[in-house]
Amino acid sequence: MKHPVLSVRKLSVTRRQPDRASTVVDSVSFDLNQSEVLAVVGESGCGKTKTAEAVMGLLPCDTWDVQAESIELDGTNLAALSAAAMRKVRGRKISMIFQEPLTALDPVFTAGNQLCSVLCRHQGMTTKAARTSSMAMLERVGFAEPDHIMRSYPHQLSGGMRQRIMIAMAMACQPRVLIADEPTTALDVTTQAQVLRQLTRLGEEYGTSILLITHDLGVVAQYCDRAVVMRDGRTVEEAPVPKLFSEPQHEYTRQLLNATMGVRSA
Amino acid sequence: MTQHEQSLLSVRDLVVRYPARGNSRVPLTAVRGVSLDIEAGGIYGLVGESGSGKSSLAHAIIQLAPPASGQVMFKGQNLAALNKSQINPLRRHIQLVFQDSLASLSPRRSILQTLLEPLDHFRIGAAASRTDRAAGALETVGLDPQLRHRYPRELSGGQRQRVALARALVAGPELIIADEPLSSLDVPVQAKMVELILELREKLGIAFLFVSHDLSVVRRLADTIGVMYLGKIVECTDTATLFARPAHPYTRSLLAAVPVADPGHPKPAVLEGEPPSPLTPPSGCVFHMRCPEKLELCQSVEPGEVAIPAHNGSPVNNQELKTSSHRVRCHLWNMTNT
Repeated sequence: MKHPVLSVRKLSVTRRQPDRASTVVDSVSFDLNQSEVLAVVGESGCGKTKTAEAVMGLLPCDTWDVQAESIELDGTNLAALSAAAMRKVRGRKISMIFQEPLTALDPVFTAGNQLCSVLCRHQGMTTKAARTSSMAMLERVGFAEPDHIMRSYPHQLSGGMRQRIMIAMAMACQPRVLIADEPTTALDVTTQAQVLRQLTRLGEEYGTSILLITHDLGVVAQYCDRAVVMRDGRTVEEAPVPKLFSEPQHEYTRQLLNATMGVRSA
Repeated sequence: MTQHEQSLLSVRDLVVRYPARGNSRVPLTAVRGVSLDIEAGGIYGLVGESGSGKSSLAHAIIQLAPPASGQVMFKGQNLAALNKSQINPLRRHIQLVFQDSLASLSPRRSILQTLLEPLDHFRIGAAASRTDRAAGALETVGLDPQLRHRYPRELSGGQRQRVALARALVAGPELIIADEPLSSLDVPVQAKMVELILELREKLGIAFLFVSHDLSVVRRLADTIGVMYLGKIVECTDTATLFARPAHPYTRSLLAAVPVADPGHPKPAVLEGEPPSPLTPPSGCVFHMRCPEKLELCQSVEPGEVAIPAHNGSPVNNQELKTSSHRVRCHLWNMTNT
């Protein structure tokens, strides 16, 4: 039996509201295995993003109440870590990329500056070493002129370029787990194919397991090994990708597949 | 000229240019000579990547972005030659639906107020009957008329997009220009909207110019598809032909990049590189820098539009060629035809 890299048990996320508390993630459990691409599928509002943000420890505790039996990353229970300890894990052992790279990148710093800061902070590199590493990283994600990209500000780059910079930042420390939250939803199909190829290749190379959040079953079928289907804050089905498509067990999964076939038949 | 008379909308050699701004000293040409025809009740799908000029084209048709040159004939009138007060009454017949329903609906107006506005503006029907008409439009798009007292923020994305469609419908248009109307919706909601649009065309005979970057949605909706790249339509034909026999290398790359929802299907093919900047368009064919099949000729000479035979392999009949609606801008086809 393989030992999972990330193991989430009974994770619940509740929004604190003065009048009533609303549960957006309800007792979700799943495992992410070594070098695997796991899809989390569902419609908007099903709690897939909140699940990821809770795992990353990104939800401010004044508005969100996160409860979990355990969130284990390589044997460390993230749920029990202090904020300071979590900051050391985040970006080094587990990192995340977001749907909208323009809002995820800081508009007033160059791409190079933002990429170097990850390396200086987590790897203790000098600015010079971080620069060299950053350039190498940018080449890895497919930039022919990394020098030019280093000096560019996010608004000067296209959506696909920005997302590749996000990937470079997230993968810079060769993390154990990468959470990608709808990384290509805002991109064109041709750019989507470039970005997803880059992402899965780097994952394989670094042995990084990827949690890919998406609503696109085409992406699930083509790039993922296993899938968790979520609805209304709960997981309704978990299966290897070929089985999910050939023998969907849950009624909701069948509905999703039918809707996709209606629109996205081959 | 016969096509002008037949078509509801007939665009000829449309050019849209934005003046130089900021650091750039050259104007940006977003649409470089586009022609297209939409029949009454037809659905024309315009696909392309972001930056290809498809939104600029859509906006230029209703003169939201004034075209630099070219004609936009709507029922025999050239919209590009009309002034503001002449064009206003025609807008009743051409309505718009935008991608972001939250941004395109006023947050401070109830749904009813929003739907009444076109009716009041164009003075459609007696004032007293307009509320009923607005409620009727909500029913047409499959919403509970009770929702008319709500505000946009109280509705889901799918409901809001239906309201945006109802607002377009309420004035009784003949053509709806929809700019990426389904892009922000979940797949099951998209599927329902596709059904709704097909139903509206069937029942009300409304024509659509449907702008989208999503080939699979366009495939379900459109009768005719135009593929845009860097301000030009590089291929145009009926939907079935485009998917069965894509002729332009760019169209083929686009189709190959779509991930198919079937784990047994081969992985999407990757088209390398990025679209060139419209500020510095390449010489020759606009696609030559990324084209997997380029010839030497492509770098220097811009390919003109050629008609290609409807059936592959069948002997080419010149008369048939002239009427063929499958048109492509690519030297590969120029070579085979001459």
